[in-house]
Amino acid sequence: MKSVLKPLLILFGILSGLYIVLFVVFFFDLDGKALFYGVEPFLKNHYDRMKRKDPLDMEYRTDTEKYEY
Amino acid sequence: MKDLKHLIEMEDLLQQAHNKLVKEAREEGRKAIGYTCYFMPEVLLDLEGCFGVRLRAPNCTTPVMATYYMSGRTCHFGRSLMERALEGGYNFLDAQMATETCTVTCRFQEHLQRMDIIQNPDFFVEFTDVPFKKTENSVEHYRKQLQAHVLDSLHEKYGIDTSDEALLKAIEQHNEVCRLVSEIGSYRKLDVPTITGYEFAVIQLTTITCPKDKILPMLRETAEEMKTRKPDLKPTWKVKVCVAGAENDDPDFIKLIESCGALVVADRYCYGSLPGREEIVVQEGQSPLDAIARHYLNTSCCPRFMPQDIMRGRKQYIADLCKEYNADGLIIESNKFCEYWSYERTIDALVIPRDYDIPTCSIEKEYINSASGQLRTRFQAFVESVELKKLHSRKGADDV
Amino acid sequence: MSKPTVNTKAFLGRAKKIASDFWNGKPHEERRLGDLYCDKTGLYKHREWRGVKDTMYYFNNIWLYNYAHMIGDMVKYSGPKGPVVFLKGVWRYRWLGQTYLPVMHWFDRGLEGMRGETLRASAWHYRAMVSETIRQFMRMLDADQKTGGSKELYDKTIAHDETVWGGIFYPWRDRMDDVPLQMIPYFVTCHVNNHVVLNYIDAAQSIGLPGDPCPMCQAEAGIFLQDDVPEYYPIVITSNEACDGSVGTSVLQDWMMNRPLFAMPQPMQFDDPLVQEHCAKEIEECWKFIEEQTGEPFSWDELKKHLERQNKLQEFEWEKWEVAANTDYYPINGVAQALYRIYQSQDGDRDIWHETDARVKKILEKCVEKKINTFPKTRHRMIAWSCAPLYYSHWCTWAYNCWGLNCVINMDSLMFNMTIRTDTYEHTLQDMALYHEWAPMRRMAVGGMHHIFELWEYMEKFHCDMVMMYDQLQCKGMQGVHGLFEDEFRARNIHAIWMPHALPDKRTVSRSEIRGIINDYMTTIMHEEPLDPTLLEFDDSEGW
Repeated sequence: MKSVLKPLLILFGILSGLYIVLFVVFFFDLDGKALFYGVEPFLKNHYDRMKRKDPLDMEYRTDTEKYEY
Repeated sequence: MKDLKHLIEMEDLLQQAHNKLVKEAREEGRKAIGYTCYFMPEVLLDLEGCFGVRLRAPNCTTPVMATYYMSGRTCHFGRSLMERALEGGYNFLDAQMATETCTVTCRFQEHLQRMDIIQNPDFFVEFTDVPFKKTENSVEHYRKQLQAHVLDSLHEKYGIDTSDEALLKAIEQHNEVCRLVSEIGSYRKLDVPTITGYEFAVIQLTTITCPKDKILPMLRETAEEMKTRKPDLKPTWKVKVCVAGAENDDPDFIKLIESCGALVVADRYCYGSLPGREEIVVQEGQSPLDAIARHYLNTSCCPRFMPQDIMRGRKQYIADLCKEYNADGLIIESNKFCEYWSYERTIDALVIPRDYDIPTCSIEKEYINSASGQLRTRFQAFVESVELKKLHSRKGADDV
Repeated sequence: MSKPTVNTKAFLGRAKKIASDFWNGKPHEERRLGDLYCDKTGLYKHREWRGVKDTMYYFNNIWLYNYAHMIGDMVKYSGPKGPVVFLKGVWRYRWLGQTYLPVMHWFDRGLEGMRGETLRASAWHYRAMVSETIRQFMRMLDADQKTGGSKELYDKTIAHDETVWGGIFYPWRDRMDDVPLQMIPYFVTCHVNNHVVLNYIDAAQSIGLPGDPCPMCQAEAGIFLQDDVPEYYPIVITSNEACDGSVGTSVLQDWMMNRPLFAMPQPMQFDDPLVQEHCAKEIEECWKFIEEQTGEPFSWDELKKHLERQNKLQEFEWEKWEVAANTDYYPINGVAQALYRIYQSQDGDRDIWHETDARVKKILEKCVEKKINTFPKTRHRMIAWSCAPLYYSHWCTWAYNCWGLNCVINMDSLMFNMTIRTDTYEHTLQDMALYHEWAPMRRMAVGGMHHIFELWEYMEKFHCDMVMMYDQLQCKGMQGVHGLFEDEFRARNIHAIWMPHALPDKRTVSRSEIRGIINDYMTTIMHEEPLDPTLLEFDDSEGW
């Protein structure tokens, strides 16, 4: 009985701890702060430096089909 | 070049919408029908008993009252029309044949409908829905719209004869105007043209703002005059250009370009003749209205057409015009706040020089160009660059 | 026992108050929500304490639930590989990476100060929009040839302008899918993270496009110019709606897309009975185009099935309007109402809307049954008219918290006010044509002169005493009737606040300037005091 209860208690303890940690993250807007100060600047930097195809190099065909039914 | 006999008179006719010929026609008991867009076929408004007047607001530089109604962030053209209407400048109108073909002119015409602006108790506004495509479905729709909103309402309100015979007669007169304007315009294709862009703009504008029958004698004489007109011994221009873009009914804008050394040889803009002065062909067994509907949809190169082949084909059309009229370059213009032409101009300015090797000057302008100093600088720089290009290509050809 | 002293009494009173505030949350006037903001960023020093029940609801049923579902939905819509596909998308597309992650802050902004059933019902609306957004972008990414998506799915996905109603594609919903080109990369991003769109507007102007056309159209063009649109579609359906700028953008987009494109423009004069046949034929031509290009036949049964389901959504919307118009028990706040409705009515029939409506219906019925005053601090019932600022769609949450301005209904919600007959093919087509013509921003805005002034009828119907008049500075259609509205407001003696904005572009008129305009009106014209003075002025210029 004890051997069954113990892992359950540990699991309960871990989940409770996680729940509390998540609540702290939620309440103090730590997710927002991490995204604002960490993730977004990193991604923005990545997007700004990304090599992009220049769409203006694309051909401009004037012999496209006429769609009429 | 020798002055054209009727030029000054025609210039006078353009000083106000309610000009001498319009007054004469109204005094004869004919109804004046206003419109703003090529999609309102002028030929339908020129039936016996009425005549079309494509609205302009010459010399309107500060549309103060209209800015209250339409804010300062809408196209100056639409606001200027509204201002002129509020001033009483269109009180001669008996009806406005409206189209929702661009937002701000549509709003202007809706104001005419909603507010008691036009001081004429019989005045009415009728809207026609204009399709965005040139398919059979669109032609059919357009034809029905023109029948219901133009012909039927003219007949019901003013007893205008809208029979096929009457339409054929109107087409005949319209075609003569088109033939004469095209003939006069064709002198722009010469190596050394015998007509300036300004002169042609004045002639073209009178044909859309005056009763056709009253302008025809002047056109006929001018066409005759052109046959023997000699160019200046020393041309006053350095390069020839095509002007394409949004609404322009200000001949002084063309004059400004020409004063910078660029002769305007093709006018592919709203209120211009390319397209616009092609003759209407009625096939055997075809109803005149069907011919008219097809003609106006098929000839129009308005940027509001959305099918892929037509969107793309418009660039080709401009390039072809430049070739046909021997233009060395293209000036592509849009009016500030004109959304259709903002995009079209941007794309034209990217595609045409790249794919057709036509030097292009892209500008944004007002309806009445009070900022002519800035434009002059732009045009002068453009003329120089085109001249240089011509020199280089000539030199390259000589070297070969 | 000695009598409690004055100090003890005060202490007990204070303790009781603290306990009450802890348990129930502070009364509206004492919340000081403005004190919660970190300067400039719009982040919270801490999230709002709404009382035990509502805070825990927010934490469990909104924050945790949505974060979990943001991952769960990827798997639901895309299978186990969903998160990997998503991460590849985040790495490739700015609009996805910069927008998806701060989505919970979008909830926060819209739901600030909400309590009880209002919090719950509004949050469900938000949840539905997030879920549908995930479904759409996962389909884009699954079929995206730029990030290694499936060719098979690519061949079975149709792209269309966001102003083409999703219902057009119902006949193929069992075999193919349709995803609007701009709904997620443009429209949704503006609401969630208003910085992203600026890149696209600037990209459009960098090729010479002037700054004055509608910034929405500019942004839509800019996404293509930045090569930021997934390649998920072999064919495209475009529309002229809602304005000249949309038509102009199509020309630029067509160049960038460079594939078979069918233009399906709607007639402008949609009140004219003569235009309906033309529009119906356009729809039929579009169907033929799809059949020809994809080889998949049209299915009447599919069309009928989805239309009938869509009608159910509309019927519930009418129920909602009934409660909103005639009672104080309507539990959906202004921003949730506006965004959910425009999203759903344009998107068409999807499971998530039905699931959400079922949940919200229960809440709505509860509110009516128990006579719960959902916005108890309402001083004025407002109707919002014209096109809203996308970067500040949650202004109504702020306005209620600060001034007691309750935005009961808005123009976008009221546009698609019809069900579609399914008894015969002809009736269906007729109704579809009309629905299609009443495109977003058209029926009562850009093009609808006769309907623009339905405002007065709806004011009366919804018992509103004030108007929030959106003033989209670059919308030519609405700028073109500015003076007539001024005249009418004066003649009818209506309190209307003009809210200038530039749709997605916060640089033209900032959120703070918008608040300033409302503050000025409320103090100078209405002579009122704010409910929460900490919300009068704050700097959220760098906020999402």
